[in-house]
Amino acid sequence: MSSRRSSSRQSGVSRITDDQITDLVSKLQQLIPELRGRRSDKVSASKVLQETCNYIRSLHREVDDLSDRVSQLLASMDTDSDQAAIIRSLLMQ
Amino acid sequence: MASLIPNLEPNPDTSPEFQRKKRRKTEKRPGSFDRNQGNQRIKRWQTEREQQIYSTKLIEALRRSRRNSSSAAGKEVRGTADRVLAISAKGTTRWSRAILTSGLSAGAKMRKHKKANINANRRLRKPKINKEKRKLPVFKRKLMVLGRLVPGCRKLSFSNLLEETSDYIAALEMQVRAMTAITEYLAGSSGGELQPPADRLGSNVNS
Repeated sequence: MSSRRSSSRQSGVSRITDDQITDLVSKLQQLIPELRGRRSDKVSASKVLQETCNYIRSLHREVDDLSDRVSQLLASMDTDSDQAAIIRSLLMQ
Repeated sequence: MASLIPNLEPNPDTSPEFQRKKRRKTEKRPGSFDRNQGNQRIKRWQTEREQQIYSTKLIEALRRSRRNSSSAAGKEVRGTADRVLAISAKGTTRWSRAILTSGLSAGAKMRKHKKANINANRRLRKPKINKEKRKLPVFKRKLMVLGRLVPGCRKLSFSNLLEETSDYIAALEMQVRAMTAITEYLAGSSGGELQPPADRLGSNVNS
């Protein structure tokens, strides 16, 4: 981050060109389902970044919810199979 | 979906030790991201085969962890899912390497110390007065937020960060798809006695 700041202050040598930036940002835009259909000149780079952050956060939330459900299902599966095993052993005697 | 979970045998070739050895070889060129390679990697996350492989590994890992410890908190499942996802990346991306090494307590403690130091410097430094047209503080702030969201990418250059982000988003989407399918599979089979997977999958696919 600090190296980028110093290079832009010199204004002569910059490691990243504007074209590269717009190219990368438009590429990122295609990955976000919300912004995929819109024209790249109508969506600002700042908005693309914002939507990317929101999207990643929503994906994280989804994975968290799914993990909770999976853990609940696994727990209930264990107890069910234990009960089934107990019932089975009782019935067989 | 033809078969959700084809085989449940553990795959010794992709054990964590093997992945760590492979990672050391690729770490010699951390910054160079071939654009073509990146696109191919992203397309790989979107294939069904990759999702099947991930589901298989995840279920195996969950079974192993449940055998070791009886508590199955959602957080543990999330950690296992993330680790298996990082392993599936085969050490080619920075976020996957960061996930796998974040388990070490030394790494986690160092991150907390670093955070404290950075905040102290920011207050002492003079505020930046001239605003360049290209890198406004707002834009840079959002870039930093993005860097914090993607694991292990706080200090990457702009282009590298966006490359990592694209790969990370594709991987996360696959993770969501796979875990949704696993949830449906478990919900279906926990309704009663555990039936053999083939039958259960058939009924799920047709519904």
